[in-house]
Amino acid sequence: MALSSGAGSGNSGTYTPEITETLRFEEEIQSLMGVNLIPPGFECSPPVNAGSSSFTALLGLQPNQAVELLHELDPAPSPAIAAGASFRPFGCSPTFPSNASLIERATRLSVFATADGSPEGSSAIPSNSEGDHSPYPKSEPPDSDSKPRRPAKRKDADKSSKAKSLTKKGKCFPGDDDGDSFANLDADKLPYVHVRARRGQATDSHSLAERARREKINARMKLLQELVPGCSKISGTALVLDEIINHVQSLQRQVEILSMRLAAVNPRIDFTGLDNLFTAECGRAAAAGPGPGWTDGVIRRNQQQHHHYEHQQPIWHVDHQQQQQQQETAGWERDETPLHHHVFISGSSSGSPPGTSLFGYDSAASAALPLSSQLKSEI
Amino acid sequence: MISSPCSTSAAGRKKQRTYFRSPPESKWRSGSQQLIYGRRLFDALRAARSGGGRSAISSRDIKNAADSALALTAQAQTRWSRALLFGCCSRRKVLLKAAGKIRRRRPPRPARKFGGNASPEPTPMLKGKKVTDRLCVLSRIVPGCQKLSAPCLLEEAADYVAALELQVKTMRALADALCASSLSSPSRESAPSTAGACDEFAS
Repeated sequence: MALSSGAGSGNSGTYTPEITETLRFEEEIQSLMGVNLIPPGFECSPPVNAGSSSFTALLGLQPNQAVELLHELDPAPSPAIAAGASFRPFGCSPTFPSNASLIERATRLSVFATADGSPEGSSAIPSNSEGDHSPYPKSEPPDSDSKPRRPAKRKDADKSSKAKSLTKKGKCFPGDDDGDSFANLDADKLPYVHVRARRGQATDSHSLAERARREKINARMKLLQELVPGCSKISGTALVLDEIINHVQSLQRQVEILSMRLAAVNPRIDFTGLDNLFTAECGRAAAAGPGPGWTDGVIRRNQQQHHHYEHQQPIWHVDHQQQQQQQETAGWERDETPLHHHVFISGSSSGSPPGTSLFGYDSAASAALPLSSQLKSEI
Repeated sequence: MISSPCSTSAAGRKKQRTYFRSPPESKWRSGSQQLIYGRRLFDALRAARSGGGRSAISSRDIKNAADSALALTAQAQTRWSRALLFGCCSRRKVLLKAAGKIRRRRPPRPARKFGGNASPEPTPMLKGKKVTDRLCVLSRIVPGCQKLSAPCLLEEAADYVAALELQVKTMRALADALCASSLSSPSRESAPSTAGACDEFAS
Protein backbone atom coordinates (compact mmCIF):
# COMPACT_ATOMS: atom_id res chain seq x y z
CA MET A 1 0.00 0.00 0.00
CA ALA A 2 1.61 3.23 -1.12
CA LEU A 3 1.44 5.53 1.80
CA SER A 4 2.96 8.88 2.20
CA SER A 5 5.68 7.91 4.52
CA GLY A 6 6.42 11.46 5.33
CA ALA A 7 2.98 12.09 6.52
CA GLY A 8 2.93 8.74 8.12
CA SER A 9 6.12 9.25 9.99
CA GLY A 10 5.09 12.71 10.92
CA ASN A 11 1.90 11.43 12.28
CA SER A 12 3.47 8.46 13.79
CA GLY A 13 5.52 10.71 15.92
CA THR A 14 2.36 11.86 17.55
CA TYR A 15 0.43 8.66 17.58
CA THR A 16 2.95 5.97 18.11
CA PRO A 17 2.66 5.79 21.87
CA GLU A 18 -1.09 5.58 21.59
CA ILE A 19 -0.96 2.96 18.95
CA THR A 20 1.49 0.91 20.89
CA GLU A 21 -0.71 1.18 23.92
CA THR A 22 -3.60 0.10 21.82
CA LEU A 23 -1.67 -2.80 20.48
CA ARG A 24 -0.60 -3.87 23.90
CA PHE A 25 -4.16 -3.49 25.08
CA GLU A 26 -5.42 -5.63 22.29
CA GLU A 27 -2.81 -8.23 22.89
CA GLU A 28 -3.61 -8.44 26.51
CA ILE A 29 -7.29 -8.54 25.86
CA GLN A 30 -6.72 -11.40 23.60
CA SER A 31 -4.46 -13.20 25.97
CA LEU A 32 -6.83 -12.71 28.83
CA MET A 33 -9.98 -13.57 27.07
CA GLY A 34 -8.58 -16.29 24.97
CA VAL A 35 -9.73 -16.95 21.51
CA ASN A 36 -12.13 -19.63 22.57
CA LEU A 37 -13.97 -17.22 24.76
CA ILE A 38 -15.33 -15.30 21.88
CA PRO A 39 -18.96 -16.19 22.08
CA PRO A 40 -20.30 -17.80 18.99
CA GLY A 41 -23.20 -15.44 18.82
CA PHE A 42 -21.06 -12.40 18.77
CA GLU A 43 -21.87 -11.12 15.38
CA CYS A 44 -20.06 -7.90 15.37
CA SER A 45 -16.65 -9.45 15.65
CA PRO A 46 -15.05 -10.42 12.41
CA PRO A 47 -13.49 -13.84 12.34
CA VAL A 48 -10.23 -14.05 14.11
CA ASN A 49 -8.29 -15.68 11.38
CA ALA A 50 -9.14 -13.00 8.86
CA GLY A 51 -5.86 -11.33 9.41
CA SER A 52 -5.78 -8.83 6.69
CA SER A 53 -9.38 -7.82 6.87
CA SER A 54 -9.14 -6.99 10.52
CA PHE A 55 -7.10 -4.01 9.71
CA THR A 56 -10.28 -2.46 8.58
CA ALA A 57 -11.50 -2.87 12.11
CA LEU A 58 -8.83 -0.52 13.17
CA LEU A 59 -10.05 1.78 10.50
CA GLY A 60 -12.98 2.47 12.70
CA LEU A 61 -10.56 3.51 15.29
CA GLN A 62 -8.42 5.80 13.32
CA PRO A 63 -9.22 6.23 9.68
CA ASN A 64 -5.97 6.68 7.89
CA GLN A 65 -3.13 6.82 10.26
CA ALA A 66 -3.78 3.56 11.95
CA VAL A 67 -3.41 1.60 8.81
CA GLU A 68 -0.21 3.33 7.95
CA LEU A 69 1.15 2.94 11.37
CA LEU A 70 0.25 -0.65 11.66
CA HIS A 71 1.87 -1.47 8.46
CA GLU A 72 4.83 0.53 9.49
CA LEU A 73 5.23 -0.62 12.98
CA ASP A 74 5.17 -4.30 12.96
CA PRO A 75 3.60 -6.98 10.89
CA ALA A 76 4.28 -9.43 13.67
CA PRO A 77 1.60 -8.35 16.06
CA SER A 78 -0.88 -8.30 13.26
CA PRO A 79 -2.47 -11.56 14.30
CA ALA A 80 -2.66 -10.17 17.76
CA ILE A 81 -4.14 -7.04 16.42
CA ALA A 82 -6.47 -9.07 14.33
CA ALA A 83 -7.59 -11.02 17.32
CA GLY A 84 -7.73 -8.01 19.52
CA ALA A 85 -9.40 -5.84 17.01
CA SER A 86 -11.96 -8.48 16.42
CA PHE A 87 -13.45 -7.52 19.71
CA ARG A 88 -14.20 -4.13 18.48
CA PRO A 89 -17.41 -3.93 16.54
CA PHE A 90 -17.61 -1.88 13.46
CA GLY A 91 -20.23 0.33 14.84
CA CYS A 92 -17.78 1.99 17.18
CA SER A 93 -17.37 5.64 16.97
CA PRO A 94 -14.03 6.46 15.56
CA THR A 95 -13.06 8.78 18.35
CA PHE A 96 -9.65 7.96 19.45
CA PRO A 97 -9.21 8.16 23.16
CA SER A 98 -6.71 10.50 24.56
CA ASN A 99 -3.23 9.56 25.36
CA ALA A 100 -3.49 9.62 29.09
CA SER A 101 -6.58 7.49 29.24
CA LEU A 102 -5.02 4.86 27.04
CA ILE A 103 -1.95 4.62 29.15
CA GLU A 104 -4.03 4.43 32.25
CA ARG A 105 -6.10 1.70 30.78
CA ALA A 106 -3.10 -0.19 29.64
CA THR A 107 -1.53 -0.04 33.04
CA ARG A 108 -4.69 -1.26 34.59
CA LEU A 109 -4.87 -4.00 32.10
CA SER A 110 -1.35 -5.06 32.79
CA VAL A 111 -2.23 -5.16 36.45
CA PHE A 112 -5.09 -7.45 35.66
CA ALA A 113 -2.93 -9.57 33.53
CA THR A 114 -1.25 -10.72 36.67
CA ALA A 115 -4.48 -11.93 38.12
CA ASP A 116 -5.99 -15.22 37.11
CA GLY A 117 -7.20 -15.41 33.61
CA SER A 118 -10.49 -13.78 34.02
CA PRO A 119 -12.57 -12.36 31.27
CA GLU A 120 -14.36 -10.31 33.80
CA GLY A 121 -11.23 -8.42 34.53
CA SER A 122 -10.91 -7.22 31.03
CA SER A 123 -14.57 -6.60 30.69
CA ALA A 124 -14.55 -4.67 33.91
CA ILE A 125 -11.99 -2.27 32.70
CA PRO A 126 -13.72 -0.81 29.74
CA SER A 127 -17.06 -0.61 31.36
CA ASN A 128 -15.53 1.48 34.04
CA SER A 129 -17.55 4.53 34.46
CA GLU A 130 -15.24 7.02 32.96
CA GLY A 131 -16.42 9.39 30.39
CA ASP A 132 -13.78 9.21 27.77
CA HIS A 133 -13.69 5.49 27.39
CA SER A 134 -16.32 5.69 24.79
CA PRO A 135 -15.25 3.13 22.24
CA TYR A 136 -14.35 0.54 24.76
CA PRO A 137 -17.56 0.40 26.70
CA LYS A 138 -19.31 0.05 23.41
CA SER A 139 -17.20 -2.86 22.45
CA GLU A 140 -17.14 -4.61 25.73
CA PRO A 141 -20.80 -4.52 26.72
CA PRO A 142 -21.83 -6.57 23.73
CA ASP A 143 -19.13 -8.90 24.78
CA SER A 144 -20.17 -8.97 28.34
CA ASP A 145 -23.80 -9.10 27.51
CA SER A 146 -23.32 -12.23 25.60
CA LYS A 147 -21.51 -13.60 28.57
CA PRO A 148 -23.55 -13.95 31.66
CA ARG A 149 -21.48 -11.59 33.68
CA ARG A 150 -22.09 -8.14 34.86
CA PRO A 151 -19.38 -5.51 34.74
CA ALA A 152 -18.54 -4.22 38.11
CA LYS A 153 -16.54 -1.45 39.52
CA ARG A 154 -13.04 -2.39 40.20
CA LYS A 155 -11.39 -1.76 43.49
CA ASP A 156 -7.70 -2.05 43.92
CA ALA A 157 -7.98 -3.41 47.39
CA ASP A 158 -10.08 -6.31 46.27
CA LYS A 159 -7.94 -7.65 43.51
CA SER A 160 -6.55 -10.40 45.59
CA SER A 161 -9.91 -11.36 46.93
CA LYS A 162 -11.31 -11.30 43.47
CA ALA A 163 -8.57 -13.54 42.29
CA LYS A 164 -9.35 -15.87 45.09
CA SER A 165 -13.04 -15.80 44.56
CA LEU A 166 -12.73 -16.31 40.88
CA THR A 167 -10.91 -19.50 41.39
CA LYS A 168 -13.77 -20.84 43.41
CA LYS A 169 -16.35 -23.06 41.89
CA GLY A 170 -19.42 -21.34 40.74
CA LYS A 171 -22.28 -20.32 42.85
CA CYS A 172 -25.12 -17.97 42.52
CA PHE A 173 -24.47 -14.63 43.97
CA PRO A 174 -27.42 -12.30 43.92
CA GLY A 175 -25.59 -9.21 44.94
CA ASP A 176 -27.41 -6.42 46.57
CA ASP A 177 -27.41 -2.81 45.74
CA ASP A 178 -25.29 -1.33 48.41
CA GLY A 179 -23.14 1.58 47.60
CA ASP A 180 -19.85 -0.13 47.13
CA SER A 181 -21.08 -3.56 46.27
CA PHE A 182 -21.78 -4.83 42.85
CA ALA A 183 -25.31 -4.86 41.70
CA ASN A 184 -26.32 -7.92 39.90
CA LEU A 185 -30.00 -7.72 39.41
CA ASP A 186 -30.51 -10.75 37.31
CA ALA A 187 -28.17 -12.98 39.19
CA ASP A 188 -30.93 -15.46 39.68
CA LYS A 189 -30.78 -16.21 36.03
CA LEU A 190 -27.08 -16.76 35.75
CA PRO A 191 -25.27 -20.01 36.12
CA TYR A 192 -22.84 -18.40 38.45
CA VAL A 193 -21.46 -15.01 39.12
CA HIS A 194 -18.10 -14.13 40.39
CA VAL A 195 -18.37 -13.27 43.98
CA ARG A 196 -16.70 -10.01 44.71
CA ALA A 197 -15.63 -9.16 48.17
CA ARG A 198 -16.46 -5.71 49.38
CA ARG A 199 -14.17 -3.36 51.10
CA GLY A 200 -13.33 -4.28 54.63
CA GLN A 201 -14.90 -7.71 54.50
CA ALA A 202 -13.27 -10.99 55.12
CA THR A 203 -12.17 -12.62 51.99
CA ASP A 204 -11.54 -16.18 52.95
CA SER A 205 -13.50 -18.77 51.15
CA HIS A 206 -15.71 -19.74 54.06
CA SER A 207 -17.11 -16.32 54.64
CA LEU A 208 -17.52 -15.79 50.95
CA ALA A 209 -19.59 -18.91 50.69
CA GLU A 210 -21.57 -17.89 53.71
CA ARG A 211 -22.21 -14.51 52.29
CA ALA A 212 -23.24 -15.90 48.93
CA ARG A 213 -25.70 -18.23 50.58
CA ARG A 214 -27.12 -15.49 52.73
CA GLU A 215 -27.55 -13.25 49.73
CA LYS A 216 -29.37 -16.00 47.93
CA ILE A 217 -31.75 -16.50 50.81
CA ASN A 218 -32.31 -12.78 51.17
CA ALA A 219 -33.11 -12.45 47.52
CA ARG A 220 -35.72 -15.18 47.74
CA MET A 221 -37.19 -13.60 50.83
CA LYS A 222 -37.48 -10.30 49.03
CA LEU A 223 -39.24 -12.00 46.17
CA LEU A 224 -41.72 -13.55 48.55
CA GLN A 225 -42.24 -10.24 50.27
CA GLU A 226 -43.20 -8.66 47.03
CA LEU A 227 -45.57 -11.46 46.27
CA VAL A 228 -47.46 -11.40 49.52
CA PRO A 229 -49.37 -8.18 49.96
CA GLY A 230 -48.48 -6.14 52.99
CA CYS A 231 -45.19 -7.80 53.65
CA SER A 232 -43.00 -5.06 52.34
CA LYS A 233 -43.53 -2.94 55.39
CA ILE A 234 -42.71 -5.66 57.83
CA SER A 235 -39.14 -5.99 58.85
CA GLY A 236 -37.71 -9.09 60.33
CA THR A 237 -37.60 -12.49 58.83
CA ALA A 238 -39.77 -14.25 61.37
CA LEU A 239 -42.66 -11.81 61.03
CA VAL A 240 -42.47 -11.87 57.27
CA LEU A 241 -42.56 -15.63 57.33
CA ASP A 242 -45.56 -15.43 59.61
CA GLU A 243 -47.35 -13.28 57.11
CA ILE A 244 -46.45 -15.60 54.30
CA ILE A 245 -47.74 -18.60 56.16
CA ASN A 246 -50.98 -16.85 56.96
CA HIS A 247 -51.40 -15.80 53.40
CA VAL A 248 -50.84 -19.30 52.08
CA GLN A 249 -53.27 -20.75 54.59
CA SER A 250 -55.91 -18.21 53.70
CA LEU A 251 -55.47 -18.94 50.02
CA GLN A 252 -55.86 -22.63 50.64
CA ARG A 253 -58.99 -22.02 52.66
CA GLN A 254 -60.42 -19.90 49.87
CA VAL A 255 -59.73 -22.69 47.44
CA GLU A 256 -61.64 -25.07 49.64
CA ILE A 257 -64.62 -22.76 49.91
CA LEU A 258 -64.67 -22.15 46.20
CA SER A 259 -64.52 -25.84 45.51
CA MET A 260 -67.55 -26.31 47.75
CA ARG A 261 -69.32 -23.64 45.80
CA LEU A 262 -68.47 -25.28 42.55
CA ALA A 263 -69.65 -28.60 43.85
CA ALA A 264 -72.98 -27.02 44.72
CA VAL A 265 -73.36 -25.31 41.41
CA ASN A 266 -72.09 -28.22 39.40
CA PRO A 267 -75.04 -30.54 38.98
CA ARG A 268 -77.22 -27.78 37.69
CA ILE A 269 -74.88 -26.68 35.03
CA ASP A 270 -74.62 -28.14 31.62
CA PHE A 271 -71.04 -28.06 30.52
CA THR A 272 -71.77 -28.49 26.89
CA GLY A 273 -73.60 -25.22 26.96
CA LEU A 274 -70.65 -23.43 28.42
CA ASP A 275 -68.08 -24.91 26.10
CA ASN A 276 -68.94 -22.52 23.35
CA LEU A 277 -68.55 -19.69 25.78
CA PHE A 278 -65.08 -20.82 26.60
CA THR A 279 -63.98 -21.17 23.04
CA ALA A 280 -65.38 -17.83 22.09
CA GLU A 281 -63.82 -16.15 25.07
CA CYS A 282 -60.50 -17.81 24.52
CA GLY A 283 -60.48 -16.79 20.91
CA ARG A 284 -61.49 -13.27 21.57
CA ALA A 285 -59.85 -12.30 24.77
CA ALA A 286 -56.62 -14.18 24.58
CA ALA A 287 -54.47 -11.25 25.44
CA ALA A 288 -56.62 -9.34 27.80
CA GLY A 289 -56.81 -10.35 31.41
CA PRO A 290 -60.01 -12.22 31.38
CA GLY A 291 -60.98 -12.06 35.03
CA PRO A 292 -63.97 -9.79 35.30
CA GLY A 293 -64.58 -9.43 31.59
CA TRP A 294 -64.73 -13.13 31.19
CA THR A 295 -67.47 -13.64 33.68
CA ASP A 296 -69.44 -10.75 32.28
CA GLY A 297 -69.20 -12.25 28.83
CA VAL A 298 -70.31 -15.59 30.15
CA ILE A 299 -73.25 -14.14 31.97
CA ARG A 300 -74.29 -11.97 29.08
CA ARG A 301 -74.14 -14.77 26.63
CA ASN A 302 -76.13 -17.07 28.81
CA GLN A 303 -78.77 -14.46 29.32
CA GLN A 304 -78.87 -13.85 25.62
CA GLN A 305 -79.50 -17.49 24.98
CA HIS A 306 -82.12 -17.79 27.62
CA HIS A 307 -84.06 -14.72 26.66
CA HIS A 308 -83.99 -15.62 23.03
CA TYR A 309 -85.24 -19.05 23.72
CA GLU A 310 -87.97 -17.84 26.02
CA HIS A 311 -89.15 -15.32 23.54
CA GLN A 312 -89.43 -17.79 20.74
CA GLN A 313 -90.74 -21.00 22.18
CA PRO A 314 -92.25 -20.70 25.58
CA ILE A 315 -94.35 -23.83 25.25
CA TRP A 316 -91.93 -26.22 23.68
CA HIS A 317 -90.05 -26.12 26.85
CA VAL A 318 -92.53 -28.40 28.55
CA ASP A 319 -93.19 -30.73 25.63
CA HIS A 320 -89.66 -31.23 24.62
CA GLN A 321 -88.62 -32.05 28.08
CA GLN A 322 -90.24 -35.44 28.00
CA GLN A 323 -89.36 -36.14 24.41
CA GLN A 324 -85.75 -35.28 24.57
CA GLN A 325 -84.92 -36.60 27.95
CA GLN A 326 -83.11 -39.62 26.58
CA GLN A 327 -81.44 -37.63 23.90
CA GLU A 328 -80.10 -35.20 26.34
CA THR A 329 -78.78 -37.83 28.70
CA ALA A 330 -76.99 -39.36 25.80
CA GLY A 331 -75.74 -35.90 24.96
CA TRP A 332 -74.25 -35.53 28.37
CA GLU A 333 -72.28 -38.71 28.12
CA ARG A 334 -70.59 -37.89 24.89
CA ASP A 335 -69.12 -34.49 25.09
CA GLU A 336 -67.51 -34.24 21.73
CA THR A 337 -70.38 -33.88 19.29
CA PRO A 338 -72.31 -31.15 21.06
CA LEU A 339 -69.07 -29.33 21.30
CA HIS A 340 -68.75 -29.10 17.57
CA HIS A 341 -72.23 -27.74 17.31
CA HIS A 342 -71.62 -25.15 19.92
CA VAL A 343 -68.45 -23.92 18.37
CA PHE A 344 -70.38 -22.81 15.36
CA ILE A 345 -73.08 -21.18 17.33
CA SER A 346 -70.81 -18.99 19.34
CA GLY A 347 -72.68 -15.74 19.21
CA SER A 348 -76.14 -16.50 17.98
CA SER A 349 -78.64 -18.60 19.77
CA SER A 350 -81.07 -20.47 17.66
CA GLY A 351 -82.58 -23.86 17.08
CA SER A 352 -82.29 -27.00 19.01
CA PRO A 353 -78.73 -27.16 20.27
CA PRO A 354 -79.27 -24.35 22.71
CA GLY A 355 -82.50 -26.04 23.46
CA THR A 356 -80.76 -29.15 24.62
CA SER A 357 -78.50 -27.10 26.77
CA LEU A 358 -81.41 -25.38 28.38
CA PHE A 359 -83.14 -28.62 28.98
CA GLY A 360 -80.18 -29.56 31.00
CA TYR A 361 -81.04 -26.80 33.39
CA ASP A 362 -84.62 -27.84 33.73
CA SER A 363 -84.12 -31.52 34.25
CA ALA A 364 -81.28 -31.04 36.62
CA ALA A 365 -83.10 -28.41 38.59
CA SER A 366 -85.17 -30.94 40.39
CA ALA A 367 -82.12 -33.05 41.12
CA ALA A 368 -80.29 -30.04 42.41
CA LEU A 369 -82.94 -29.04 44.85
CA PRO A 370 -82.34 -31.83 47.36
CA LEU A 371 -78.62 -31.26 47.02
CA SER A 372 -78.83 -27.58 47.79
CA SER A 373 -81.14 -28.22 50.68
CA GLN A 374 -78.65 -30.76 51.98
CA LEU A 375 -75.90 -28.23 51.78
CA LYS A 376 -78.04 -25.66 53.49
CA SER A 377 -78.68 -27.99 56.34
CA GLU A 378 -75.01 -28.74 56.67
CA ILE A 379 -74.10 -25.15 56.88
CA MET B 1 -39.14 -21.46 30.92
CA ILE B 2 -37.01 -23.70 33.00
CA SER B 3 -37.30 -23.15 36.65
CA SER B 4 -34.87 -25.28 38.49
CA PRO B 5 -34.76 -24.88 42.20
CA CYS B 6 -31.54 -23.37 43.44
CA SER B 7 -29.32 -25.01 40.92
CA THR B 8 -25.86 -23.87 40.18
CA SER B 9 -23.88 -25.43 37.45
CA ALA B 10 -20.28 -26.28 37.84
CA ALA B 11 -17.63 -24.00 36.49
CA GLY B 12 -16.95 -25.86 33.34
CA ARG B 13 -20.50 -25.99 32.22
CA LYS B 14 -21.40 -22.38 32.42
CA LYS B 15 -21.74 -21.93 28.73
CA GLN B 16 -23.46 -25.09 27.80
CA ARG B 17 -26.96 -24.34 28.93
CA THR B 18 -28.87 -21.18 29.33
CA TYR B 19 -30.03 -21.18 32.88
CA PHE B 20 -33.16 -19.19 33.13
CA ARG B 21 -35.49 -19.04 36.03
CA SER B 22 -38.50 -16.87 35.49
CA PRO B 23 -39.83 -14.97 38.48
CA PRO B 24 -43.12 -16.39 39.67
CA GLU B 25 -45.07 -13.22 39.12
CA SER B 26 -44.49 -12.92 35.46
CA LYS B 27 -45.15 -16.58 34.99
CA TRP B 28 -48.39 -16.83 36.84
CA ARG B 29 -49.93 -13.49 36.32
CA SER B 30 -50.06 -13.47 32.58
CA GLY B 31 -53.54 -13.54 31.17
CA SER B 32 -52.75 -16.49 29.00
CA GLN B 33 -51.91 -18.56 32.05
CA GLN B 34 -55.25 -17.77 33.53
CA LEU B 35 -56.99 -18.81 30.36
CA ILE B 36 -55.01 -21.98 30.16
CA TYR B 37 -55.73 -22.84 33.72
CA GLY B 38 -59.36 -21.90 33.40
CA ARG B 39 -59.75 -24.12 30.44
CA ARG B 40 -58.01 -26.97 32.18
CA LEU B 41 -60.09 -26.54 35.26
CA PHE B 42 -63.21 -26.53 33.25
CA ASP B 43 -62.24 -29.70 31.47
CA ALA B 44 -61.34 -31.32 34.73
CA LEU B 45 -64.66 -30.36 36.24
CA ARG B 46 -66.50 -31.74 33.29
CA ALA B 47 -64.51 -34.93 33.39
CA ALA B 48 -65.27 -35.29 37.06
CA ARG B 49 -68.89 -34.60 36.34
CA SER B 50 -69.29 -37.17 33.64
CA GLY B 51 -67.18 -39.63 35.55
CA GLY B 52 -69.35 -39.34 38.59
CA GLY B 53 -72.50 -39.78 36.60
CA ARG B 54 -75.48 -38.88 38.63
CA SER B 55 -73.82 -39.01 42.00
CA ALA B 56 -73.19 -35.84 43.85
CA ILE B 57 -69.76 -34.40 43.32
CA SER B 58 -67.97 -33.81 46.55
CA SER B 59 -66.03 -30.68 47.12
CA ARG B 60 -62.92 -32.68 47.76
CA ASP B 61 -63.03 -34.10 44.25
CA ILE B 62 -63.32 -30.65 42.87
CA LYS B 63 -60.46 -29.44 44.99
CA ASN B 64 -58.29 -32.30 43.84
CA ALA B 65 -59.23 -31.69 40.26
CA ALA B 66 -58.43 -28.01 40.61
CA ASP B 67 -55.10 -28.73 42.23
CA SER B 68 -54.18 -31.24 39.58
CA ALA B 69 -55.10 -28.78 36.88
CA LEU B 70 -52.96 -26.17 38.58
CA ALA B 71 -50.03 -28.52 38.83
CA LEU B 72 -50.41 -29.39 35.17
CA THR B 73 -50.39 -25.76 34.26
CA ALA B 74 -47.16 -25.43 36.17
CA GLN B 75 -45.82 -28.07 33.81
CA ALA B 76 -44.56 -30.08 36.73
CA GLN B 77 -41.40 -28.11 36.96
CA THR B 78 -41.63 -27.37 40.61
CA ARG B 79 -41.58 -29.74 43.47
CA TRP B 80 -45.01 -28.82 44.75
CA SER B 81 -46.58 -29.39 41.37
CA ARG B 82 -45.03 -32.81 41.11
CA ALA B 83 -46.14 -33.66 44.61
CA LEU B 84 -49.68 -32.58 43.75
CA LEU B 85 -49.78 -34.60 40.60
CA PHE B 86 -48.22 -37.74 41.91
CA GLY B 87 -49.35 -37.51 45.47
CA CYS B 88 -52.33 -39.72 44.89
CA CYS B 89 -50.37 -42.43 43.20
CA SER B 90 -49.31 -45.40 45.24
CA ARG B 91 -45.79 -45.49 43.92
CA ARG B 92 -45.30 -41.84 44.41
CA LYS B 93 -41.71 -41.89 45.39
CA VAL B 94 -40.70 -43.67 42.23
CA LEU B 95 -42.77 -41.33 40.14
CA LEU B 96 -41.42 -38.27 41.83
CA LYS B 97 -37.89 -39.38 41.31
CA ALA B 98 -38.61 -40.28 37.73
CA ALA B 99 -40.11 -36.90 37.09
CA GLY B 100 -37.11 -35.28 38.63
CA LYS B 101 -34.74 -37.29 36.51
CA ILE B 102 -36.60 -36.56 33.35
CA ARG B 103 -36.54 -32.91 34.00
CA ARG B 104 -32.95 -32.70 34.98
CA ARG B 105 -30.80 -32.88 31.92
CA ARG B 106 -27.43 -32.47 33.42
CA PRO B 107 -25.58 -34.99 35.53
CA PRO B 108 -25.87 -34.67 39.26
CA ARG B 109 -23.83 -31.95 40.77
CA PRO B 110 -20.34 -32.89 41.85
CA ALA B 111 -19.64 -32.88 45.52
CA ARG B 112 -19.04 -29.40 46.68
CA LYS B 113 -17.81 -28.00 49.89
CA PHE B 114 -20.01 -24.98 49.97
CA GLY B 115 -22.77 -26.01 47.68
CA GLY B 116 -26.25 -25.19 48.87
CA ASN B 117 -27.15 -26.45 52.26
CA ALA B 118 -29.40 -29.38 51.65
CA SER B 119 -30.12 -30.24 55.23
CA PRO B 120 -33.68 -29.93 56.46
CA GLU B 121 -32.92 -27.06 58.73
CA PRO B 122 -31.48 -24.02 57.11
CA THR B 123 -28.55 -23.15 59.30
CA PRO B 124 -29.98 -22.78 62.74
CA MET B 125 -26.76 -21.10 63.64
CA LEU B 126 -27.37 -18.22 61.33
CA LYS B 127 -31.07 -17.81 61.83
CA GLY B 128 -32.94 -17.82 65.06
CA LYS B 129 -35.11 -20.56 66.35
CA LYS B 130 -38.23 -18.66 65.36
CA VAL B 131 -37.24 -18.48 61.77
CA THR B 132 -36.41 -22.15 61.70
CA ASP B 133 -39.80 -22.99 63.14
CA ARG B 134 -41.53 -20.85 60.59
CA LEU B 135 -39.61 -22.50 57.81
CA CYS B 136 -40.65 -25.89 59.12
CA VAL B 137 -44.27 -24.84 59.16
CA LEU B 138 -43.95 -23.47 55.66
CA SER B 139 -42.42 -26.69 54.46
CA ARG B 140 -45.41 -28.54 55.82
CA ILE B 141 -47.87 -26.23 54.15
CA VAL B 142 -46.36 -26.22 50.72
CA PRO B 143 -46.85 -29.71 49.32
CA GLY B 144 -43.80 -31.73 48.60
CA CYS B 145 -41.36 -29.45 50.30
CA GLN B 146 -40.30 -31.45 53.27
CA LYS B 147 -36.59 -31.61 53.80
CA LEU B 148 -35.74 -28.78 51.54
CA SER B 149 -33.11 -26.19 52.06
CA ALA B 150 -34.08 -22.62 52.80
CA PRO B 151 -33.52 -20.97 49.44
CA CYS B 152 -35.22 -23.80 47.56
CA LEU B 153 -38.07 -23.76 49.99
CA LEU B 154 -38.55 -20.05 49.61
CA GLU B 155 -38.50 -20.32 45.89
CA GLU B 156 -41.06 -23.09 45.89
CA ALA B 157 -43.19 -21.06 48.26
CA ALA B 158 -43.08 -18.05 45.98
CA ASP B 159 -44.16 -20.11 43.02
CA TYR B 160 -46.86 -21.79 45.07
CA VAL B 161 -48.26 -18.50 46.31
CA ALA B 162 -48.46 -17.13 42.79
CA ALA B 163 -50.12 -20.29 41.56
CA LEU B 164 -52.62 -20.26 44.42
CA GLU B 165 -53.59 -16.71 43.64
CA LEU B 166 -54.25 -17.68 40.08
CA GLN B 167 -56.26 -20.65 41.21
CA VAL B 168 -58.42 -18.61 43.55
CA LYS B 169 -59.06 -15.97 40.94
CA THR B 170 -60.02 -18.46 38.29
CA MET B 171 -62.20 -20.58 40.52
CA ARG B 172 -64.00 -17.56 41.83
CA ALA B 173 -64.66 -16.33 38.31
CA LEU B 174 -65.87 -19.75 37.26
CA ALA B 175 -68.11 -20.14 40.25
CA ASP B 176 -69.57 -16.68 39.75
CA ALA B 177 -70.22 -17.36 36.10
CA LEU B 178 -71.86 -20.68 36.78
CA CYS B 179 -73.95 -19.27 39.57
CA ALA B 180 -75.08 -16.33 37.53
CA SER B 181 -75.90 -18.44 34.52
CA SER B 182 -77.85 -20.83 36.62
CA LEU B 183 -79.71 -17.92 38.14
CA SER B 184 -80.83 -16.66 34.79
CA SER B 185 -82.29 -19.99 33.76
CA PRO B 186 -85.91 -19.98 32.62
CA SER B 187 -87.03 -22.24 35.41
CA ARG B 188 -88.08 -19.52 37.76
CA GLU B 189 -89.56 -21.75 40.42
CA SER B 190 -86.22 -23.18 41.35
CA ALA B 191 -84.38 -19.93 40.94
CA PRO B 192 -85.03 -18.46 44.36
CA SER B 193 -83.81 -21.54 46.24
CA THR B 194 -80.71 -21.92 44.16
CA ALA B 195 -80.16 -18.23 44.31
CA GLY B 196 -80.17 -18.60 48.04
CA ALA B 197 -77.64 -21.40 47.88
CA CYS B 198 -75.38 -19.44 45.63
CA ASP B 199 -75.57 -16.35 47.72
CA GLU B 200 -74.62 -18.26 50.79
CA PHE B 201 -71.38 -19.29 49.23
CA ALA B 202 -70.85 -15.94 47.72
CA SER B 203 -70.65 -14.31 51.12
